[in-house]
Amino acid sequence: MSTTVNSAVGAITPPLVDESPTATPRRPRRRYDPSANRAGIGVYAAVVIAAAIFLVPFLYIVLVALATPAQVSGGAFSLLQFDPQWQNFVEAVTRINWLHYAKNSLFLSVIVSVLTTFSSALVGFAFARLRGRGKNALFTIILATMMIPSIATLIPTYILFARLGLVNTYWPWVLWGIAGTPYLIFLFRQFFTAIPLELEDAAIMDGAGWWRIFWQVFLPLSRPMILTSLILTFTWTWGDYLAPALLLNYNNTTLAVATSIGYLDPRGSGIITLQSAGALIYILPVIVIFLFTQRYFMGSGISSGVKG
Amino acid sequence: MTSRSTATSVAVAGSDARGRGWRRYRSSTFYLFASPWIFGFVLLTIVPIGFALGTSFTNYDGQSPIWRFVGLRNYIEIFTSDPEIWASLVRTLAYVVIAVPLSVGGGLFLAVLVNRRIRARGVVRAIFFVPSVVPIVAVAIMWRLIFNRDAGLLNGILEFFGGPDQTTWLADPYAFYALIVMTLWGLGGGMIVILASLQDVPVELEEAAKIDGASSWRVFRSITVPMISPILYFQVITGIIASLQVLVQPMLLAETNNLSTASNIPQSTTLYMVQVYKEFFLYNRFGYGTAMLWVFFVFVLALTLILQRLSKRFVFYQVAVDQD
Repeated sequence: MSTTVNSAVGAITPPLVDESPTATPRRPRRRYDPSANRAGIGVYAAVVIAAAIFLVPFLYIVLVALATPAQVSGGAFSLLQFDPQWQNFVEAVTRINWLHYAKNSLFLSVIVSVLTTFSSALVGFAFARLRGRGKNALFTIILATMMIPSIATLIPTYILFARLGLVNTYWPWVLWGIAGTPYLIFLFRQFFTAIPLELEDAAIMDGAGWWRIFWQVFLPLSRPMILTSLILTFTWTWGDYLAPALLLNYNNTTLAVATSIGYLDPRGSGIITLQSAGALIYILPVIVIFLFTQRYFMGSGISSGVKG
Repeated sequence: MTSRSTATSVAVAGSDARGRGWRRYRSSTFYLFASPWIFGFVLLTIVPIGFALGTSFTNYDGQSPIWRFVGLRNYIEIFTSDPEIWASLVRTLAYVVIAVPLSVGGGLFLAVLVNRRIRARGVVRAIFFVPSVVPIVAVAIMWRLIFNRDAGLLNGILEFFGGPDQTTWLADPYAFYALIVMTLWGLGGGMIVILASLQDVPVELEEAAKIDGASSWRVFRSITVPMISPILYFQVITGIIASLQVLVQPMLLAETNNLSTASNIPQSTTLYMVQVYKEFFLYNRFGYGTAMLWVFFVFVLALTLILQRLSKRFVFYQVAVDQD
């Protein structure tokens, strides 16, 4: 967004330099050229090479997902004899109880993203707009918990949940959702802090309580932030491997675990073609979501909060 | 900053005028609204970490009800008679030292590239960014394909150019580098954050410098990088902490990725957290594993504090940091 503005300014601004004839620079000065920002051949070469490198894993997994087992064992070059095996995708969703795992993934991702977004917004609002004893200390703790390695808490949490009998239930995800996420709390707090005080004062004058101010004034204003939070949490949960692997039995697990260890032949080794097809189906929702909401992430959406 | 604090003090004066009852209402609402996080912090952070601390003084094995306190024995063993831990720690540090600068540097490089006025900029940005949001399970499957011994792309290309054929990239000693390559594929996430901060650098500053005759490289080095240094610093910090605790990537990149067989992870990718995971779920040494977690925890905490101190030397903050 701001680049278009920048480049527009650059294009309009007339060249101001080197107009005075008396200026005799000691060393040769480069003329200021407003179009210097335009990319040259070197930039294009770098972009094309880098893009090719980033695309290779995608292209290769598509090739493998459409290959026959014979092609796979024949090495990389036999994959180029393109004979698309579309039934690999059909087999990927029928060989394992795909619909069941997908439902579990969807259910957990929706639960966690809705709960986390609501909680994080509520807590972020408290830290942005309310006052209470110890607020600053609590906020420092939130910032500090962003630095606590999540695995250092996940394994002990797993042991605790195992003793409480919460393993192989979805309760851990509900609790994680209710607790909110420090990073999102921080982002919501930054977002709410930037909203003018007049809005809040006007609502207070009208006799609104804090709940109504939060629910009817602040939340409707923070739609982009809510959307960001929902998307981030949804994809985190959809992509999470370790928590379902530790906390859920195989027949009750998510698509992440099932895709990873579900496609086995009778000897117990992975069927590469089906695994590739399954992986492609599994990542499709995430990629679609991000492509449709690109503008949020390509702008200053997620990063604006972390600015120093 | 100044305008904000005056606004706050006005608000304080305003609410003071509303009286003590109002302030009490606001304060109790603060705790009510913050309670989900407070509850979560106590139940899901303090309790597990405290429980881990307690367990670390025992020989608990995860199943049997018979366990006893062993005092500091676990910690003594970690520091005196477990060379595997130190080897895994050295590998982890090597991983951090290689992966973090390459990730941040590569992210900066790509951000500068896609910040230029190039054709199909949106598509190019998406190509760099999307890998960073692909779930790790699929990322690992993709890179296992590339590094696969028989059907892998890398061996295919090497064979085509007459190089050595049939290298087992996912075994020692190459697995470590495969892991780093896989990590670097996801640097587009950092690119996006850096890109956003690049776009916030005041264009007048750069243009003024160019008018004064500074070369593009000089402008980049002396103006752009200092202006975005808080973001770069943030990337380095979060990158270090994330890289120190890498566990899932080596597990999923290992050829057999059955959960119960953590023993299949090659030694060169047995980073610290993998070692911890093995102690828990391969050897059932929960007491010892939690002690390792606590050592790690203190280590990360100390490192964060040191980096925080260091940052004041070289990070340029445009405005005072609003940490409240």
